[in-house]
Amino acid sequence: MRVLASIFCALAAFGASAAEINDRRAQFNYQLFCQGCHTPDGTGAMAVPRMKDQVGYFLATPAGREYLVRVPGSATSALSDADLAEVLNWIVREFAGASTPADAEPYSAEEVGRLRQNPLNEVEQYRVQLLADIAAVITGE
Amino acid sequence: MNLFDKLFEQRTRQLAQRTSRRGMLKSLGGLLVGGAAIPLLPVARAAAAEGASRPVEEGDPGSCDYWRYCAIDGFLCSCCGGSANTCPPGTEMSPVTWIGTCRNPADGRNYVISYNDCCGKSSCGACLCQRDEGDRPPYRADKTNDINWCLGTSSAAYHCSTAVVVGVAFEDQ
Repeated sequence: MRVLASIFCALAAFGASAAEINDRRAQFNYQLFCQGCHTPDGTGAMAVPRMKDQVGYFLATPAGREYLVRVPGSATSALSDADLAEVLNWIVREFAGASTPADAEPYSAEEVGRLRQNPLNEVEQYRVQLLADIAAVITGE
Repeated sequence: MNLFDKLFEQRTRQLAQRTSRRGMLKSLGGLLVGGAAIPLLPVARAAAAEGASRPVEEGDPGSCDYWRYCAIDGFLCSCCGGSANTCPPGTEMSPVTWIGTCRNPADGRNYVISYNDCCGKSSCGACLCQRDEGDRPPYRADKTNDINWCLGTSSAAYHCSTAVVVGVAFEDQ
């Protein structure tokens, strides 16, 4: 029941921002700047990480939340801050499924603009530690 | 009269009492009218709606000046045993690809084109086509056609390129 409630809350939190997402623009920007590697449904391929049913876990910690903006594909993309925030919110809404925490807030253009000033370089190493930290938070250890 | 005959007679009489002589015509008629109504069900309408977003096509997919090839750099799969959408037999389409937009002269709209490479055999060698419109230098890795996009396939050997329409471009009104 708690799981159901948290799923419902997650949908409600990101659902509230649905009005701010222009679906056609967000999907177009995803297609043009993300889909080439992340594939149409976020499944990924080989070295490309899977976002489908998992990307929401990053929103469980502040560092994870920052990571989705600081990865080079996001931070150094040709998208404006507002468009990047929109496409990230769209990705979470479309692909995260039940992985999004109940209290997750959508990204704002201001937040994205600030975080992308500090892009990650050694992504793979950073990610290994980050995922361990997120797993610890989610499992409550 | 044995038991089997009795049973058979009983069943036949029951059937004759329950059904009219024109029942067969009635059910056949129902079937014909019902069958004609099936295309009105949501499935058929969904398929028709999808078709509506597909572009009106003109031009020859075997020719380099075909509209979808506006940013291609490689051998055209339509000259190599495949098509603009499909890989030739014996090759594998890379799920990792580069994506751009091309303007369709038939309707004047821009479409999102995915240049999926077909991989697993050596270069096709036919219909080399290099148009590069909107191609960016390799430091914009997701917008360059100068790299081998056979990423995500079991073999990195490049054979030919497709140009698949994946959507309509968003344009500010």
